[in-house]
Amino acid sequence: MVQHTIIEGTAVAYDAHREDYQRLGLRFARSLDGSDPLSATRAFSSFGRRFAQNRDSLPQSDADRAFHLVAEATALIDYELPFADDAHAEQLVDQGHHLLDEAIGLDPHCYDAIRMKSAAASPSFESYYTFLASTADDVRAVCEEERAKVADDSPERMLLGADIAMRPYYRWLATQAGKAIICGRNREAIRLGERLLELDPADSADVRFTVAIAYAKLEDETGLKRFAARTRPLMREGTRDAWMQLARISLAHKRHDIARARALLSELMASYPHALSAFTAQKELPDGVFSRLAVPPFCEDELILAVSEGTVLLQEGRDDAGRGVLGTWIVRNAALAAKVGDSR
Amino acid sequence: MNLREELYERLARRRGAQLGDLSPAAYAELLLAVREHPESYLDNPSDQAFLRLTQAIGRVMDSRDADEWRDDESFMEERAGRMARLRRDCERALGEAPESVDARLMSVLAADQEPDDQLDALLDLEQAVAAEQGPLSAPGSGDAWHDVFLHGRLRLLASLSRTCLDSARYRMSVDYCKTLLSLSPMDALGARHTCILSYARLEDEPGFDELDARFGRRGDSWQQLGRAVLFYKLGRMPAARRALSGFSSLCEGGPFALLRPVMVDTYLPDRPAAEPYSFAEVTLAVHEADPIICDIPDFPSWAEQQGDFAEQARSFSERSGFGW
Repeated sequence: MVQHTIIEGTAVAYDAHREDYQRLGLRFARSLDGSDPLSATRAFSSFGRRFAQNRDSLPQSDADRAFHLVAEATALIDYELPFADDAHAEQLVDQGHHLLDEAIGLDPHCYDAIRMKSAAASPSFESYYTFLASTADDVRAVCEEERAKVADDSPERMLLGADIAMRPYYRWLATQAGKAIICGRNREAIRLGERLLELDPADSADVRFTVAIAYAKLEDETGLKRFAARTRPLMREGTRDAWMQLARISLAHKRHDIARARALLSELMASYPHALSAFTAQKELPDGVFSRLAVPPFCEDELILAVSEGTVLLQEGRDDAGRGVLGTWIVRNAALAAKVGDSR
Repeated sequence: MNLREELYERLARRRGAQLGDLSPAAYAELLLAVREHPESYLDNPSDQAFLRLTQAIGRVMDSRDADEWRDDESFMEERAGRMARLRRDCERALGEAPESVDARLMSVLAADQEPDDQLDALLDLEQAVAAEQGPLSAPGSGDAWHDVFLHGRLRLLASLSRTCLDSARYRMSVDYCKTLLSLSPMDALGARHTCILSYARLEDEPGFDELDARFGRRGDSWQQLGRAVLFYKLGRMPAARRALSGFSSLCEGGPFALLRPVMVDTYLPDRPAAEPYSFAEVTLAVHEADPIICDIPDFPSWAEQQGDFAEQARSFSERSGFGW
């Protein structure tokens, strides 16, 4: 029961608040080892309330406290800031960065906070990418050291503890892969994605979405097909995600197989609600600085995120309107596909 | 090749064929005579259409000469006017010689469309021409460019390869370049330039290297720029820095061309000639690479920070009188 509360369910992307809960839950459960099962269960039943209302009464390390600050900063920067007006935006950013500074003060190895700070401090994509690339090995070493320290009586808790220890490195690699594409380094993005998938085959960072875009950028049809087949077990609800579909649409469009591109676009529009408005707006959102924003699979927001990350595919080519060749094609054809869908 | 010269060759070839087997010396005589009095050899509607196109392009080029003195608004107006004029001239040429590939190609280019629409039109044209005239092949073991009557079809392929690049279809662009290179190995139309840029964008080092080797690693503005882009994209920064320094030392005004790209108007019907490594050449290379450079947004500012790149750009602008 104690384990179930912390371990159950697989998250979509990384949810900082949930991870904060898992960290403290795990530590609390360990502190109860040795007490009799009945009183342990009773004690754990109070965990949720104490986590929410009296966090300081729970056992925690400086690293746990730092991560909690990261979770709070994530809520401000990734989830509140995009909806804030200009007057509040600056305040949110200041607050967020103050929390991150505090986190690094508590735990100098808090690489989530370090990465998030650097995202804002870097003057260019190139310099951010260079920082990520040059620090990745340090992050890996620290995370592996943390993982080696995990000791637990229960194998499930052992696994979860080991996974939590490695997550900052997973997020680091996933961010690096995403930024590699922005910097035009698509082969590197694939290499980073493959390394992450090897370490975390469940792909909790959903780095396969990024890899799909990189294969489309390289116009590597065979590579994408093989990759899709290999990651098929990760496919959700037996349906292709928007990133993979956008990659396939882009490839069909790039080889001028317009009929195929249209069919794939209709397929994609059928698997997401309000797809037409996402394709018409083609919003380019700031990337989540903690990780890709956590949204439910196959909801409208997920498509908006995918289209935003797909900007590198949509906005390519010489195009006076500034929407890109594929972007313009999608606007024209999504409207047609929607009409066909309506008349069915 | 200059279009006027091409017209003379067409006229001489056509007359030569009527006269039967001419010795090389006799053909040279004939060509001289054609240059003296081309009008007396103009009896074929297709050549008349070609002359009309040549004159139409000449008018566009004359009008372009004054572009740098126009403000944005009058430039746009003037440009729209001369493209409309060009379309009318193409219509007239097509009235005389509906089968003329050059006239049909020019009217697609003069339509001034978005790359996706231009590609559709060029693909339709390619299909139609292949249906009318059969598959294109190099005569004997030679080079298709040696047959002046095939120039139009070869230009169509070159235009297709560049339109593919402009519409972010880099593999397709490579495929058209390869077709063109196999039909015309001496590559008068410079398919290798388009091809090497596409390889750089696709981060395809083996493809890039093979093409470079095939042309004896002679190098030119496209190859120098492409190499810097390729290594930058592959994250091999020391190699990228060396390539960039090659680009700036070999291409006249290269750093200025990269940091202050200028607008280059539609190629009519093909890439204008430029001296190897001249400022004119590097301007064309940067213009053609524009979609690829936009895809690596930090590349120009990275380049600006390398060695004396920025200084070179500034001193070129002072030397040559271009504004900074």
